[in-house]
Formats: sequence, structure tokens, C-alpha cells
Amino acid sequence: MKPTTLDARGLSCPQPVLLAFQAMREMGSGHLEILVDNEASQENVRRAVVSQGWTPTITKLNENDYVLRCEKS
Amino acid sequence: MKFFKKILSKNKKSKSSISEKGMLLYPSTGEVIRAETLLREAGLDIAVKGPPPDLRQGCDMIVEFDLMHELHVRQILQTAGLNPLRIVPVHDHLLEPVSLFNVKDFGDYLMVRAANMKITIEKQSQRIVNISGGGCPDVPYLAQMLVGKTMSQAPEPRVLGQTLCGYALQLAFQEVKRLCPG
Repeated sequence: MKPTTLDARGLSCPQPVLLAFQAMREMGSGHLEILVDNEASQENVRRAVVSQGWTPTITKLNENDYVLRCEKS
Repeated sequence: MKFFKKILSKNKKSKSSISEKGMLLYPSTGEVIRAETLLREAGLDIAVKGPPPDLRQGCDMIVEFDLMHELHVRQILQTAGLNPLRIVPVHDHLLEPVSLFNVKDFGDYLMVRAANMKITIEKQSQRIVNISGGGCPDVPYLAQMLVGKTMSQAPEPRVLGQTLCGYALQLAFQEVKRLCPG
């Protein structure tokens, strides 16, 4: 099943976190990919998804960008 | 008549040069925060401020107190093993570390920024959803300890923080409590 992708690049904190919360609430469970463009956002979003019981796997795409592949069954 | 005027103005001048406030100088922000907490708990009227330029060592802070209570202050700090490096009378206007809050409403969420620190809560549940900003080493720890907890469950940042960021976060935390008293 194709994951839902959320592009939070270009947004400043706390907006990536708030978008992630909105997506997690709407989805309830499943696969969610979140793109961010700085380490602070990556860290903040990771903390947010973990606090909601999702498990993130983080990949650094290039110098700035990260993708958090999050799962909840 | 002129003579009296001269004396009065002289007296006025000398009165204004008498310092009524003192400041406690510490080597680290963590000690300033601990001293502030202790003195506030003792009911003393104190304030945390930025030091004057000649006493500044970095991004440091001092505790301003009423010199009339110096003995009491010294006793409290000594009992707690928190003796300051120096106690100095305040002669200049001291800087307030944070005097303005920036509040942003994101609909279901509310963000308050104090200086360089932001705290965001979900309005309905009062749950802390994000802590960001800083540049101090204790920010990730503070975020780890606070995110996911409600405002009533969360420990006060001043208890955990050791830096100016922790102090700014405490102010933002208090402002959230004031805005959303639960």
C-alpha cells in the first residue's frame, strides 16, 4: 500500500510537527512519510510521532533533507 | 535660599546614588535558576535579569534582590550550599532577559515564544506537542521531558533546565499557563 506523503520542507517549527499531528490523527494508523529540510525539524517531528505511538525510520536524503518513514499498525 | 536649594539638590543626588538593589553573581545559569527558585519559595521579591556589560561573561544572568533582605538571602543560599561568587549593589539599569512574548494561534494549537524558545500545545487537551528553538545543549533533553505531557503533568522547565534557553522556556511555559489556565 502506498504511504501517505507529507512535504513539510520550507516550513518553520512548529508547523511540520502540527502537520504531522494532523496527518496521524486523520490516518489513525498505516504508513506515513514526512519530508523535512533541517535537522531540528527532523528531531521535532520524530519526537512527535513517537509520542503518538508511531515508529519512525529516518533517512537523510541530502545535505538538508530528511524523510521520516513512520508506521503504526 | 540658593544655599538651601543647593543642599536639597545635593541630597537628592546622593539619595539616588544609594543602591537599594543587589545582584547575586554565579558562574553558571543553572545556579542562577536554582537560587531564583529557592528565593521565590522563601517569598522574596526577586527578578532574574541580564548583568551590566562590565560584569557580563556570556549569555549569563543574575538574580536581583532587595538589599534590605541581604542577610535573609545569604542565609537561605548558604543553607542550600548555593553561595554566589559575589554580591554586588546594582547601580545601572539591568536588562530584562525576556519582556515580550510572541503568541501564534494555529487553530487547534497555540504557540508561545519567549526569546529564542517556542512551546506549542494542543488547546483542547493542553498537551505539549512541540518544544523548539534554542541552541543550548539542554534543549533536546527539555523537549524529551515535556513533549507528550499535558501542561499539568509536565515538570516546570526551570526544574530541568540549566541554561538561558531553559529559562526562556520557563517563561513561555508560564505564559501558556496564563493564557490557558486549564
